[in-house]
Amino acid sequence: MIRTVKPRNARSKRALDDRGAKLIENQKKTLLLSGTSTSELTRHALGDLHALKKPHAIKFTKKNDIHPFEDASAFEFFSSKNDTAHIVFASHSKKRPHNITFARTFDHKILDMLELGIDETTFRPLESFKNPKFAVGMKPMICFTGSLFDSTPEYKLVKSVFLDFFRGETINAVDVEGLQYMINVSAAEPSDRETTPVVHLRVHLIKTRKSGQKLPRVEVEEIGPRMDFRVRRIQEADAGMMKEALKKPRQLEARTKKNIETDIIGDKLGRIHTGKQDLNKMQSRKMKGLKRGPTDDEEMTLVDAEDDKVKKARLS
Amino acid sequence: MPTATETKMERLSVLVEKPIPLEFDVGNLCAFDSNPLDPILYAEDREKCLQEAARDGAQALINQILTQVPLKSTNDGVYAELPAPVTPLPREKPIPKPKDPTKWELFAAKKGIKDKQKDGKLVYDEEKGEWVPKWGYKGKNKDGEGDWIVEVDEKKQKAGTEEVDPRSASREERKERIKKNERQMKKNEKRSVTGAKPWAPKKGSGVGKRR
Repeated sequence: MIRTVKPRNARSKRALDDRGAKLIENQKKTLLLSGTSTSELTRHALGDLHALKKPHAIKFTKKNDIHPFEDASAFEFFSSKNDTAHIVFASHSKKRPHNITFARTFDHKILDMLELGIDETTFRPLESFKNPKFAVGMKPMICFTGSLFDSTPEYKLVKSVFLDFFRGETINAVDVEGLQYMINVSAAEPSDRETTPVVHLRVHLIKTRKSGQKLPRVEVEEIGPRMDFRVRRIQEADAGMMKEALKKPRQLEARTKKNIETDIIGDKLGRIHTGKQDLNKMQSRKMKGLKRGPTDDEEMTLVDAEDDKVKKARLS
Repeated sequence: MPTATETKMERLSVLVEKPIPLEFDVGNLCAFDSNPLDPILYAEDREKCLQEAARDGAQALINQILTQVPLKSTNDGVYAELPAPVTPLPREKPIPKPKDPTKWELFAAKKGIKDKQKDGKLVYDEEKGEWVPKWGYKGKNKDGEGDWIVEVDEKKQKAGTEEVDPRSASREERKERIKKNERQMKKNEKRSVTGAKPWAPKKGSGVGKRR
């Protein structure tokens, strides 16, 4: 626990408020860390993930003696110090070669962790693809292919973590020109030979061609990095903590407007209150028979006579 | 008459047909394809298989964005207005809690005391004949602090045993009020942290009975 600091000036207060709990949250930041021993491959992978996440990522260069699945308190400390909700940790050992651990925090406490092993035979870093890359800070499109991501808990976690990790800022409008690249996460179907298939991470640049129709023809070009993961250990979120983290603020819920409905056709219907109608003052059709007799008030007859004149004038 | 290149362009398919239709979370620019990867191609040429799956996913998602989302064209370009994300993802921090009411706010709510309408910082000074600030530099609350001669309040002079400079008494009173307010603020803060019961009337004090 870091001591609570009282801001001394407006600037530091703004900075502190920006770190606090918010109704509409900032984009989650990422901290990239290395363990005591890393392989060249994991270092490349960490650098590439940093490149994908820029400018919302911080990369530390020093070695850290952390074993996340034994004691993740160091992650919590780093998370609270740097205000990062995602932590990516690279390590390499004989037992778990080329290891990358994705950890998420909620309120600077570890929410869940996912340990992935990178396949060294298929790994290709970002630099090895000699082609133009996307602009920094663009919101990616993401695609998950494979039925596993909806069924198995490990792969569900992969989907949740990767979607959370790559999705970027929540925005309400996107420039169509800005749809520049796509991150593809795919896994083959499990078979008897291979019960836990490899998760493929591919990043593609989008290229659109005229198709002679309204919609363009989309082509993709791989820009790297290319990583194939094997899911190793996972630590799922505590149910209570996850429930708390998934809560939606009530203030942001769209208010239902009373008395306004939309019917099946899509027409907007409104119901309004008109107040009570006074039937005595209602103007009914004028007829000679309904006229007041000579016994009535003189003024009234005068008015009626005038009305008749007006009517005649209109008719003529 | 269409030229050869045009007819060729027309042949480029923009439709993605899959046995299981794709699901989308357009707010996150995300597509979920639960169709399995082509097992034969996957075994033979893995990269080609993944590339094709990626192309289909990209085409489907772009089709979805261009057809199902309202587009708005401005001078800067065409914008797609995205709906809110639907996939449940954990928040970074808990939902902010509303600030605890202060002791005064609780009391005011109980008594039905409404906040005073704010009517600006300036107040009319009839002696000077101009508008002056209520507080701060040359504020109205500092009236009589720099006076040469101050009327001595005899009652106070008698009550207090120690000598008080009557000319600085008004300033000290004001400073004391500020300190009192700070003490109250600290108390309220402490109460909101410890979660102690903010205000419990003593039994038989009669407070809270009046209506």
